[in-house]
Amino acid sequence: MAYASLILERRGPVGWLVFDRPSAGNAMDATMLGELEAAWRELDEDPDVRAIVNTGAGPAFQTGLDMVQLSRDREALRVQSRRTKRAELRLTAWHNQVWKPVIAAVNGTCAGGGLHFVADADIVMAASDATFLDPHVSVGQATAYEPIGLLRKMPAEPVLRMALVGRHERLSAARALELGMISQVVDPPERLREEAQSLGETIARNSPAAMAATKRVLWRAFEVCSVPNLVESGRGAGGRGGHFRPNVEQDHRGAR
Amino acid sequence: MEYSSFECLTVERRGPVGWLINDRAEQLNAMSAAMRDELAVAWKELDLDPEVRVIVHTGEGRAFQTGVDVTEIATDGVGMERYRQSVEDFDLHFTAWHQQVWKPVITAVNGICAGGGLHWVADADIVIAASDATFFDPHVSVGQVVALEAIGLLRKMPAEAVMRMALVGRHERLPAARALELGMISQVVDPPERLREEAQNLAEQVARNSPAAMAATKRALWQSFELGLTDACRAGAQELASLWGHPDQEEGPRAFAEKREPVWAPPGAATPPQHSS
Repeated sequence: MAYASLILERRGPVGWLVFDRPSAGNAMDATMLGELEAAWRELDEDPDVRAIVNTGAGPAFQTGLDMVQLSRDREALRVQSRRTKRAELRLTAWHNQVWKPVIAAVNGTCAGGGLHFVADADIVMAASDATFLDPHVSVGQATAYEPIGLLRKMPAEPVLRMALVGRHERLSAARALELGMISQVVDPPERLREEAQSLGETIARNSPAAMAATKRVLWRAFEVCSVPNLVESGRGAGGRGGHFRPNVEQDHRGAR
Repeated sequence: MEYSSFECLTVERRGPVGWLINDRAEQLNAMSAAMRDELAVAWKELDLDPEVRVIVHTGEGRAFQTGVDVTEIATDGVGMERYRQSVEDFDLHFTAWHQQVWKPVITAVNGICAGGGLHWVADADIVIAASDATFFDPHVSVGQVVALEAIGLLRKMPAEAVMRMALVGRHERLPAARALELGMISQVVDPPERLREEAQNLAEQVARNSPAAMAATKRALWQSFELGLTDACRAGAQELASLWGHPDQEEGPRAFAEKREPVWAPPGAATPPQHSS
């Protein structure tokens, strides 16, 4: 398929998905919103692709929805609003259930909706001059999906701070590395794609089947938040065992 | 807005920033029964004051907060029994989270933060600290269980550091510098005397954002701690949609385009109209 807002290509075992609207900070217009879904599927279905790298052309990585363009395309905006409200987004690898390893290579500014692609990637690396911010609340918008995803993956306080400080502060790549939000800073920044390709090739040496199963298990772990009936039953979940056994309820009032 | 008069707290407003200051410096700001009751009131008053956009919580003296006042517990003949029912029922009212405050809350840790003091680190949105602040949880060293504070922190930072603090008790302290590395806090202020000034500055930046958008965001994010990822996104989507049609959603982009400071609807103003799609 031919893409207008993305560059899709394969280099050896590594599939590349590159945001390609550099003059608009790679913001997602109606065209890109449609193309992203197709691009993830195409890379996921290509048997020669073992790992996927997601990056951006130009000075920005990704800066969220292009509200200027979308306000002129009422139908596209309506579809996107419905998907947002129903939690049926199709922007990222996670939204599109891609089970190949995905590396986000943040080449510059990653703002607002751009954080979707950080939250939903498996591995994140960044150029040394990349920055992260979430300006939603500074322009009267709430933010939810992106920080909710990040909250599963890194310390919460910096996520809450980023969400509430808005455009008045940026997180540097160096601080993102300290926080475990990303695992690698590439310096000089020009070497980012080279390093991403090299990491992609390294990952591609592992078993695709084992990585897919691993990825499913780990992302599913983010879903499970409680074991119903565990405390009441005093046994493992549903009697099927488990590593947690609640203590028998005791009352120490008056105990010596 | 006129605030109640408090014995154990100082509550005041500086510009758009509401200040809640623990004021029992002699007792290292330990929480007496009176202070506990006052905190419930103070959070609600600051939340209701339409002039307050952001709340900063700090302490007087060399401690931020050191948990329940054990002297009172040991000497007044009532002891911990006073708190049994509210703890068993988890019916607590002394942090912003307990009181469902949806304005941004910045905890500014000015010194020792021990045991129950960690409640206000766990339950704040943003935490900054003076360079000489320290964190520890002495509960198990004095025969007490720690649960709520550590459970809150486990959602918000690397778990090993929390387990270590809970189990080492009073025999070790976490310095501010390490808390910064761990993402438990996001800023260390040096020299320590500049803590309040930095907290006020940060709060004024936050106060420039839409109160309605921040409240919806805060609800979405705190709610997400309760849920699995997909359910958290679904619930978050409802918070996003709840703001559609709110005047701030138009004002924000317009002010940005016109390169001027936005004029937001005051907090708690008109309920946004229901969006239909």
